[in-house]
Amino acid sequence: MGKKKNSLTPTTFSLLHATDFADRQLYNIVPPLKAGMIVLADRYAYTAFARDVARGVDRAWVRDLYSFAVRPDLALYFRVPIDVSLDRLMARRVKLKFYEAGLDMGWSLNAQESFRIFQGKVLEEYDRLIDEFGLSVIDASLSITDQQQTVRNLVSRQLERPALEAVSQ
Amino acid sequence: MVDPKTDNKDSKELVRTEFGANGHIQPGRYYGHGLPYLPIDQYPGKIIAIEGTDGVGRSTQIQLLREWLEVQGYGVVETGWTRSALMQPTIELAKSSNTLNKLTFVLLYATDFADRLEKEIIPALKAGFVVLSDRYIFSALARAGVRGVDRAWLRSLYGFAIAPHLVFYLKLDVDTLIRRVLSARGMDFWESGMDLKGGDDIYDSFRSYQNKLLREYGSMADEFGFRMLDARKPVDVLQEELRRQVGAFLSGSDISVDGREVSGG
Repeated sequence: MGKKKNSLTPTTFSLLHATDFADRQLYNIVPPLKAGMIVLADRYAYTAFARDVARGVDRAWVRDLYSFAVRPDLALYFRVPIDVSLDRLMARRVKLKFYEAGLDMGWSLNAQESFRIFQGKVLEEYDRLIDEFGLSVIDASLSITDQQQTVRNLVSRQLERPALEAVSQ
Repeated sequence: MVDPKTDNKDSKELVRTEFGANGHIQPGRYYGHGLPYLPIDQYPGKIIAIEGTDGVGRSTQIQLLREWLEVQGYGVVETGWTRSALMQPTIELAKSSNTLNKLTFVLLYATDFADRLEKEIIPALKAGFVVLSDRYIFSALARAGVRGVDRAWLRSLYGFAIAPHLVFYLKLDVDTLIRRVLSARGMDFWESGMDLKGGDDIYDSFRSYQNKLLREYGSMADEFGFRMLDARKPVDVLQEELRRQVGAFLSGSDISVDGREVSGG
C-alpha cells in the first residue's frame, strides 16, 4: 500500500502503525490475555514512541495516540550501539529498508549514512523510554546465550517461578 | 497505556491537550500538538469547512460555492473524507469486508485526514488557496463519539488538525433527513449505524443513529464555533447565505484575488 509508493509522511506512517497495532491488539493480544496466556510481542508501542518521534512527530501526541494499548507486564529493551547493529545487518547482507534506514527523511541519500543518523535519533528516544516506562535493558552486544539467560531470569521473576524450572521446560 | 491490573479510567498518565476550547484556537493554527516538522504560521490560504450529516446537501452547496469563488478570482481546492490517494482503497476495502472495529476505523479515518492535510490542505494554504472541505474532523469526532470512543483521546488524536477559518454546519432534523435519503438513494449500512447492532430494522437504526449524531454535532457547536445554517431551506437560499458570510469573511482577509494582494486584514 502506502509503503511501496514511498509516500508516507511521518504522521501517516505513525497512524498506520497505530491502526495495525489496534487491529493486532483486538485479535491477537487481548483474547490470549483473557485466556490467561503469555503474549510475546516482537516490538510494541515503544517502538513507535522511539521511531515516530525520531521522524519528528510530537512526543506527547504519539504517547496519547497509544493510550489504548495494554501496558505490558514486562518490557525488554535490547540495546545495541549503532555500529554493532549496522555491522550485523551488513554481515547478513541485508539491504537496508527504505523506512528502516529513515531514507524518507531525506537526511542522506546514502542508505548506511541515513540509517546511522536515523537510528541514532531512535536510540536517543529509546533512552528516554527506559525510565519513563520502566523498560528492562538488556545489553544486546553480549552473546546470545548471556542475553537469553538474562531474559529468562527477568521473565521467571515476572512469572514468580524459579528460574531453573522455567529454563528446563 | 492501559494497565490491565487497574481500572482503565484511572490510569491515564498523559496530559490531555486543551483542544478547541470554546473556539479559542485561532483559525489557521493547529488545534493541539500539531505537526512539529511542519510549522504553518502566517500562511495566506483559508480553510472553509462544510459540515453536516449525510443528505444535508453539502456537495451541492460546495459546488455552487466553488463556482462563485472562482468567478470572484479565488483559487479553490476541494477536499473531502476518504478521498486521500493513500487511504481510499483501504477504507473502501475495510468497509466492505466488515473486519474493522471502532478503534481501527477511527485510526484509518485519521490517517486519511492526515494524508490530505499534509499533501493537499497545507500546500494549498501556503499557496493562498481557499480550501473547501466537504466535512472536516467534526464528522469523524461525531461518528466516533457516538460509538463510545473516548472524546478526550479523539481530540488529542486530531491535535494535528488545523482549525478552519469558517465552519458551516448544515443542520437538518431527522424526519426531513430520512425523507431526503430515502428519495435519493436509500439507507446504507454504515450511515444507518448498523455496526452498532441496535437491531435488524434499518429504519429504526438509521433514525436512532442519526439522532445520536445530531446530538453529537450539537454538542460541538460551541466548542468549535460552528456557524449554523438551516438545511431545510431551498438550495439557492442556503447558497445565498453561504456566499454572504464567506464573502464578508474573505473581503476582510488578506488573501489574494487574481494574484493581487487585497491587503485589508
